[in-house]
Amino acid sequence: MKWKIELTVNGEPYELAVEPWRTLLEVIREDIELTGAKEACSTGECGNCMVILDGKPVNSCLVLAVDANGKEVLTIEGLAEGGNLHPVQKAFVEHGAIQCGFCTPGMILAAKSLLDKNPKPTETEVKEAIYGNLCRCTGYVKIIEAILAASQSMAGGK
Amino acid sequence: MSLPRFDYFEPKTIDEACSLLSNLKDEAKVIAGGTDLLVSMRKREISPKYIINIKKIPKLNYVRYNKEGLEIGAGATLSNIENSGIVKEKFPLVAQAVHETGPPPIRNIATMGGNLCNAMPSADTAPSLIGLGAKVKIQGPKGIRSIPVAEFFVDSGKSALQSGEMLTEIQIPNLSANTAGVFLKIPERSVIDVAVASVAAVVTLDAAHSNIVEAKIVLGAVAPTPIRAPQAEDIIKGKTINEEIIEKAALAAAREAKPRTRPDYKRELVRVLTNRAIRQAIDLFLPDALGGG
Repeated sequence: MKWKIELTVNGEPYELAVEPWRTLLEVIREDIELTGAKEACSTGECGNCMVILDGKPVNSCLVLAVDANGKEVLTIEGLAEGGNLHPVQKAFVEHGAIQCGFCTPGMILAAKSLLDKNPKPTETEVKEAIYGNLCRCTGYVKIIEAILAASQSMAGGK
Repeated sequence: MSLPRFDYFEPKTIDEACSLLSNLKDEAKVIAGGTDLLVSMRKREISPKYIINIKKIPKLNYVRYNKEGLEIGAGATLSNIENSGIVKEKFPLVAQAVHETGPPPIRNIATMGGNLCNAMPSADTAPSLIGLGAKVKIQGPKGIRSIPVAEFFVDSGKSALQSGEMLTEIQIPNLSANTAGVFLKIPERSVIDVAVASVAAVVTLDAAHSNIVEAKIVLGAVAPTPIRAPQAEDIIKGKTINEEIIEKAALAAAREAKPRTRPDYKRELVRVLTNRAIRQAIDLFLPDALGGG
């Protein structure tokens, strides 16, 4: 039996009919066809499925789609505006913080979420913010550098 | 990997939820945050036929303070609790324990109620709540009751909830004067992991801050449920603060632990964490009195 839900994804309204056992991640990838969010661990530990739900980063593999009814979702695809990369995206590219790219959408969303709340994080605060995002390639050094650099450029280069 | 199929309900009141739970009995599970439930379902450890979402019950997502203490609704997320001004100001131990429960995206959807109802021996919110004398409010077909968190954990994975009941609120009494607590956890690797061992130490000092008047030491993940360490508590209660009795208490706590796996390692962790937790709790009153730890 399907439930009718309404979601706003990257500013666009969607009306969908979903079975209750489908997760937000499945619906984003399969119904809305935004594949930036990935499924890796399926247990909410790796952060590859991360999206921003009503302003908060969450593991979308652990959110039932029916539970997201009436909510706003931001995925990695919604970050760039008018073809211009978000400062966090730019910083990741410039600082070599992307290797295979699998963790990148989640990492960038976690970083954006941090900088929206805390524009001048310390290195420790950056590490805490990405605790829920695992990277198997980079060893995190460049990722942390990129996030700190993005915070500088978002603060007007101070 | 997809979830197994289920029928889904969104009750609008606690009564409706309890009624559903009574009728559907063992085949129904409550979903709050879902961070434990959905993982178990995905692993096919459980396959409930019915899922009852309590987050759609209005006004269960609250963190309230009154002259008795703190009241946390079953729907309050760990993030809401951790970021609450009143929790940070008057119940910093609760904020600390909640912070250690998992990484940020989990804390944004998981709930304290769910952490307790899942009743894992390693439940990260439990030792602190037990150390603070917290209670849970339970509602069911026979009415409303409150029991101490210590009694809510019956066995590994088994809470005191009876058929048709749900947890609606966690109540934490105000701390008495000169009381502070610390929660420490050793995870497998980092905060995304379950605790291998954890300790909450809540100490009450005298007005001069030289004697320990009262102590609650609670061990997590080293027995089927979180447990107090009364022998360790007795060693430091009524005594003048000194390093020797703290270490004696830590050794006692390690003996009181009942780990079923990796016993030597876990007992040693309990010893170290108990020592550190007591010292750090005292440090909150008297910075550098014991040189940290």
